[in-house]
Amino acid sequence: MKQISSTPAKIELGHVTHLYLSTTRAFMAVQDINLRVEEGDFICLVGPSGCGKTTLLSLIAGLEKPTAGKVWIDGREVSGTSRQVGYMLQQDYLFNWRSIEDNVFLGLDIQGIRSKETEEYALHLLDEMELSDVRKSSPLQLSGGMRQRVALVRTLACQPDVLLLDEPFSALDYQTKLKLEDLIFSTLRRHKKTAVLVTHDLSESIAMGDRVYIFSRNPGRINSEIVVPNPIRDALPFDARNHDGFQDLFHRVWKEMEVVSDAAKGN
Amino acid sequence: MQPKEIESVHRRYLQLEKRMSFSVFSTQLFLFLVFLGLWELLARTNTINALIFSYPSKIWAQFWLQLQDGSLLPHVGLTVWETIIGFLLGTILGTVMATIIWWSPFLSRVLEPYLVIANSMPKVALGPVFIVGFGPGLLSVIAMGCAISVIITTINVYTSFKEVNQNYVKVVQTLGGSKRQIFTLVILPATIPTLLATLKVNVGLSWVGVIVGEFLVSQQGLGYLIIYGFQVFNFTLVMMSLAIIAVIATLMYQGVAYIERRLTSQFK
Repeated sequence: MKQISSTPAKIELGHVTHLYLSTTRAFMAVQDINLRVEEGDFICLVGPSGCGKTTLLSLIAGLEKPTAGKVWIDGREVSGTSRQVGYMLQQDYLFNWRSIEDNVFLGLDIQGIRSKETEEYALHLLDEMELSDVRKSSPLQLSGGMRQRVALVRTLACQPDVLLLDEPFSALDYQTKLKLEDLIFSTLRRHKKTAVLVTHDLSESIAMGDRVYIFSRNPGRINSEIVVPNPIRDALPFDARNHDGFQDLFHRVWKEMEVVSDAAKGN
Repeated sequence: MQPKEIESVHRRYLQLEKRMSFSVFSTQLFLFLVFLGLWELLARTNTINALIFSYPSKIWAQFWLQLQDGSLLPHVGLTVWETIIGFLLGTILGTVMATIIWWSPFLSRVLEPYLVIANSMPKVALGPVFIVGFGPGLLSVIAMGCAISVIITTINVYTSFKEVNQNYVKVVQTLGGSKRQIFTLVILPATIPTLLATLKVNVGLSWVGVIVGEFLVSQQGLGYLIIYGFQVFNFTLVMMSLAIIAVIATLMYQGVAYIERRLTSQFK
């Protein structure tokens, strides 16, 4: 045990507290969060809206600096955005004025690493997502699911080790969402990425994650942690939903959520 | 439904659409001719004062005469030239100022009240200042054409910079983009439609500025012709200048609208 904690985790949060300040008030988004994510882990954050899940992603991504506490990636303190971390938003936010190909190369342009090899890697990813034939198209010609897949390629093209997913399926129809869950799950597994998924969908969190963290709000804190057992953890999200233990696990998470939202009401 | 039927329904729709466009155009043309005809008739029968209102055939004769003796084109050329320069300067300076303000939130807060004051002030009132500053000539006129559009451009463009969806900015930030990259990769391309819409407004504004400028100082140009016609009580000259301005201003507006359609097709 001791040995594990002495090697740096992929992502580690130590006593992280974050305040949002305005002239009228100081709002505590998250309080005293401690979290360790090992390399290759897939963790999910669930909780009522306004519990600071997205704030936590921003802190890990280096978009914001925690008011107190520290965030480390590979044992190095996070002080700004870095190539190591990729971020996927709720919607694709593709640039309509660029072709699909140029959208995918965006990160390469920004980081000044656009070359024959990196371009080829990006196009290979595009091919993996079965998007090769639309590479010259405009984003406007694509469906929601295709656009979100392009956004995934745009993120992966920069070869980040850590992927932060902020409800990336919430704007999609149910069928597309299920398919994309499987695709992202297997892609991240294959490329051995560490991932943090924020979601509202409890069954999605169980189907995709190795561990599920349930947050309470006002201020946002980790209320409980549920470890997803092995057969469900390794199955594709679509199949995981049909596993025997899935319903029990869902009820456990559901109960925890009830506790959390009751507590919030009590306040 | 058979493909043939679909085609014939579509064809009927196209025919109707064509007929509609034709009716609209012919009515427009008809109204214009009625307007010219009535004007001519009323002026010739002296129902309206022909000295003040002149009438179309006389205006046309004046136009033709001046066109042939070569005394008209220098006026037109100069005014168009001044308008284009004033228009470009106003747009470019306004956009640059908007960029600087966007870059520095501190500066934007400092400058905000000044922009509001500058915007509510009638720019043509600055005429005397320009004449003293730039001399009674071309420079003053261009300065007026530019001044009238620069502040409103700054405000419009800055507002559109701010209205760009923050999530696009976030995309660039999470990929490690600098502020400069945020500007060139997101803010500028995302606001091209607004920039072009601003251009259309600025064309009209620059005409106002240049004509007023010419009223005040110039020895040449369409604004000068109007004032000259007024002073010698030749309203045929005034009306002719107005007609020329209307035609050229419309052409310039359509030119910018064409560029706008070409450049923004990928946004729709």
